[in-house]
Amino acid sequence: MSFILRRIATTKTGKQIIRDQPLPGDTITLGRDSANTIHVADLAVNPHHATIGSGDGRTVRVTAQEGLGFDLNGRTETVADIDSAAGAELRFGGHRLTIAREDDKIILLVERIDELSQASKDVDEVKAFSLQSVLFGKRVGAWTFAALMLLAFLIGPIWAWHSYRGVDERPNGFHADSAWLSGPLSSAHANLKNDCQSCHVDAFVAVTDNACVNCHTGEHKAMSMAHAGAPTAMLLAARHPPGLGEKVLAGFAEAFNKPAGRCVDCHTEHEGAGPMAATPQKFCADCHDGMAGRLKSAGHPTMLADAADFGTSHPELRPLVRPAAGAKPVRAMPGKPWRDYNGLKFPHDLHLQATGGVARMAASFRGRYDFGKKLECENCHRPDADGVRIKPVEMERDCAMCHSLAFETVGGVTRTLRHGEPDQVVADLTAYYRSTPPARPLQLGGMARRRPGQYAEGQVYNIYFREVAARPSRAADAVRAVFSEGGACYDCHTIFPPAAGNNWRVMAVNQTPRFLTKGWFDHDAHRETACADCHVTATESKASTDLLVPALRQCRDCHVGEGGARIVKVETATESPCAMCHEYHSDGGKPWQPKRERKRQLSSITHQPSRAIYDVSLITGKRERGLYDVSWRTPSLQGARQGG
Amino acid sequence: MASIFRRRRNRATQTERVRERQHEGFLRYAGFRWAKISGALGLIVIVSYALIDVTPRHNGGSWYGYTLGTIGALLILWLTALGYRKRKMTSDYWSLKAWTSAHVYLGLSLIVIGTWHTGFQLGWNVHTLAWALMMLVILSGLYGVVVYATLPQALSNNRDQMTQMQMLEAIRAFDRQLHSAAQPLSPADTAPVLASLDENPFAGGIGARLSGRYPRCATAAALSALAASHGSAPEAREKVVGLLRQKQAALARLRAHLRIRALLEIWLYVHVPLTFALIAALSAHIISVFFYW
Repeated sequence: MSFILRRIATTKTGKQIIRDQPLPGDTITLGRDSANTIHVADLAVNPHHATIGSGDGRTVRVTAQEGLGFDLNGRTETVADIDSAAGAELRFGGHRLTIAREDDKIILLVERIDELSQASKDVDEVKAFSLQSVLFGKRVGAWTFAALMLLAFLIGPIWAWHSYRGVDERPNGFHADSAWLSGPLSSAHANLKNDCQSCHVDAFVAVTDNACVNCHTGEHKAMSMAHAGAPTAMLLAARHPPGLGEKVLAGFAEAFNKPAGRCVDCHTEHEGAGPMAATPQKFCADCHDGMAGRLKSAGHPTMLADAADFGTSHPELRPLVRPAAGAKPVRAMPGKPWRDYNGLKFPHDLHLQATGGVARMAASFRGRYDFGKKLECENCHRPDADGVRIKPVEMERDCAMCHSLAFETVGGVTRTLRHGEPDQVVADLTAYYRSTPPARPLQLGGMARRRPGQYAEGQVYNIYFREVAARPSRAADAVRAVFSEGGACYDCHTIFPPAAGNNWRVMAVNQTPRFLTKGWFDHDAHRETACADCHVTATESKASTDLLVPALRQCRDCHVGEGGARIVKVETATESPCAMCHEYHSDGGKPWQPKRERKRQLSSITHQPSRAIYDVSLITGKRERGLYDVSWRTPSLQGARQGG
Repeated sequence: MASIFRRRRNRATQTERVRERQHEGFLRYAGFRWAKISGALGLIVIVSYALIDVTPRHNGGSWYGYTLGTIGALLILWLTALGYRKRKMTSDYWSLKAWTSAHVYLGLSLIVIGTWHTGFQLGWNVHTLAWALMMLVILSGLYGVVVYATLPQALSNNRDQMTQMQMLEAIRAFDRQLHSAAQPLSPADTAPVLASLDENPFAGGIGARLSGRYPRCATAAALSALAASHGSAPEAREKVVGLLRQKQAALARLRAHLRIRALLEIWLYVHVPLTFALIAALSAHIISVFFYW
């Protein structure tokens, strides 16, 4: 029974040198301690790790001594019987003990198989010292990320589009192509957020007008009347020659099939939540800036003046006027003073004087009507129901407070000449004389000066003034007096005397309801501004033929171009794109504007012009004033208290 | 005539000499030529953006936006080509230094081109995703430029004229000495030494690499365990403790080296994968624009 310890050394050339050393004794000890038979210099091995013995010379018993076992076939054991003929490999720390049998001798082969330390292991210098050893490779990351991006943001959206082709309305929920949303939709279209295909119907086909008019079946079906009626060649000639940038854009558009002139060219979407932005002025100015010259040279002469920016380049206003009495209304020619013959005689200067008869009379009615110390514009001019325009003046409502047509009181009832019916006036006066001669002279003067405080509408006050010096004693005289100079009708109206079988006639009064037909002016939006701030010529106007519509100059006191351009000094600028006044679709209505911009315009007026001369003057608008039911106690500030 | 050329050549060699003496890196290449070019490019974009009045407002879909977008996309592809160029050895085309210089400065100008292309309309969509990825790539690149300019000095100082493998070899030497010196120690004292030997000097994740902190360092643990131990013969233990201390110093040097290298390299692990993510997102962005035209 003998154990042989075999050692194998490897030379540099790879040759193995085997040395066998017989071990004394039947029991071999193995450990780190040098006193052991087999000394294993391995810190992972105990000083006295194991004993190896064999009873029969065949079976080898290995017994661990100090708690630490050994590995046999991958399992940790503390004692093991090994058939030396079959052989076995045992592991002690970093060493391997191979048991084999040769010629009745048990061979023990001890080799170090583990490195002395982890640091001693071979390393790939390039990998170990760089981050390659601790991170995923850059290539893996690159391809993974790229694939994820394509999957989530290209294939997913296209799949979403593909799976709802031809479907009228997508169901709610997540659709991958919402990742393509380039910006929030306007509030009107917000519900289409998940349904890209409602507008983007076909792939690589720009949004067509069809997609718009599928829903917008009514007013927006076509271009504006003015523009739709024009020949295409003319519209094309109107466009300004493209600049470098527009050539680039046109190149893009042509190369990628994006036709021009679609609804969405002006009605741009994905520009942010909230109301859709108003169409910017550039879209109008693109054609209307320098358009007349272009159209003329293209053989389409036009009357339209050029317009590019309200603040700097806008033609003079051309309100509707009647150039002669009874003429048809035409747009005023630029450069000439405006004369509008509406058939009335009305000196504004006289009525707006701060002193004098009219002011005194108005002051005497304070408390009965909403008059101040003098007459104000709004005492006679009333806005219509929505506040946009001023109603035509009506005699009974707006003049009769002072200009009474009463001529007699019978038993507490006042009799009044019928306004607007000259034949009736003649008849009434004739009838009056036929019954009984008047006990007192008639009051037939329209503008007779009355004693303040004693005369009011609906009261007959028989006094003799210049106008009634020729006291009529017969019906014909009375009729003539009322229709002649100094008479109630004549003072305000143009009268045609009886001729060729006609009776007395009054020239028809034509009050133009809307002077500026191409643009939109909203009095309500300007209610913070005094009338006289814009209607500057009112206080000097001596004749009603002076058209008091403000000129462009007055607008520019506050309104500047969309980008703030101006040629006059403006204290509080209101930036005004074309769409503030002009309605592209020309339906005659109010130009559409986003709510936030409407609000902005009002709140931006912070420096109001001085209103020192107007104590209280608010346009009351809605309040109807009865002619005959006023009382002495009507407070003069009623309108103001109602909130205007 | 000949003298003009000679003088010019002389001047050229003179410039070359100055360049070599000062070590002109990619940042100051050719007197900051590409810095000037891309600075001018950015300035042109900002000024023209302010001057050019596009309708209805600036965004990627205006003609100006298309122009900037096209320039930006082509620039991104060209910048990515540096990865190809640096693997290709050439002598006749641009030097890699020139290419890198242009890469850095034109890449920085992309901040302006890309951002002004958006018209400052950002949102949660693929378009802004592409922009954000582009910004991340540029910022990581900016980090790379900064660390390339500052950290090599620290790397060199830490290395102390040793090569990487010499650093590792030092640790191996201490390991061998430790192994033999620890033989007389008691099993209780051997265990921490063994743990120290078993410790991979390259172990630790990305966090440890970047921070340079190894709180569970077995060598440090072994040092404190043996310093407090009374189990073995004092002389043997003293010797082991001394060796452990030296090993710890060697480890610290190696770890500082690894940390600086990690800081020098980490940006590429953002820069390169995100570049590919960017190109993918950019493709999706461009295709989506024309898909939903």
